[in-house]
Amino acid sequence: MPTSTPRPTEAAARDLSAEPRTPADITALLGAFCFFLSAVEYMIPKPLPFMRLGIANLPILLAVDLLPLPWYLALALVKVVGMSVISGSLFSYVALFSLAGTLTAAIAMWAARKVIRGSVSAVGVSMLGAVASNAVQIAIASAVVFGEAARLIAPPFLATGLVTGALLGAFAETFAAKSRWYARARGAL
Amino acid sequence: MRIKAFDIVIALAAAGLVALSAVSAYSPGSRSSELVIKGRDGEWVYPLSSDRVVSVAGPLGDTLVAIEGKTARIKDSPCPNKTCVAGGSISRPGQWLACLPNQVLVRIEGGADDADIDAAAY
Repeated sequence: MPTSTPRPTEAAARDLSAEPRTPADITALLGAFCFFLSAVEYMIPKPLPFMRLGIANLPILLAVDLLPLPWYLALALVKVVGMSVISGSLFSYVALFSLAGTLTAAIAMWAARKVIRGSVSAVGVSMLGAVASNAVQIAIASAVVFGEAARLIAPPFLATGLVTGALLGAFAETFAAKSRWYARARGAL
Repeated sequence: MRIKAFDIVIALAAAGLVALSAVSAYSPGSRSSELVIKGRDGEWVYPLSSDRVVSVAGPLGDTLVAIEGKTARIKDSPCPNKTCVAGGSISRPGQWLACLPNQVLVRIEGGADDADIDAAAY
């Protein structure tokens, strides 16, 4: 984390509120959004146990182009903790599903964005993340809980990921194009 | 918002994965049939592929359901006339055995030849 030169308190306060200065600032803000969106996600009724919108992943999706890798992974962990705290599953094996799914998605999205940078938008990155996360969770469900029968939950679960991933990606793409905060955050690093 | 080449590639790959999982989950041929045992206290599902003897509690006592070589039969039941034991063994989806006095229903669901249909109309 780069250290900034001392400045008058008033100016420093203004900077903190308005300008994303460092990866830590951005991680903190996006991490807080993860907590908030996890709460929103938790309020939305789910037709099936695994099916969720994945809106808590939006900050991670936005962070792909904003944060260096270590901070980006830290944000993914913050999201896992936030989601688990809010859903009350932090100290149960359910949190491991969240951890595995989120980390897989985060790494897949990062890799996709870095490797095929110019030819993929947030829509593709988001779909990739959602489907990768769901596929890993089905694999774990198959290995740990449901055995063979996990295959039966795969189609609706993967299809949900495809659709919600695309919608979330479209939102992120639009947000990134229009947000002045996002533009400043990109410029700041 | 501009959709780029790899967005489409990823969407197609994901759709392919969904289709593949759907084929794997729903195609009748790929799934072995299951034995569903309904007793007084609940319902249990067993794979027909592994041999075992299941004891199901009922009002008269325990009904023994034997699964051997992908078929199921009621081996013994504490009922007066043993109609269920006389029912022999079942192996295909849709077949069932019942011991009414002891409130046990055994049926086979899903699986390869679900096609034992008398007639169909669309």
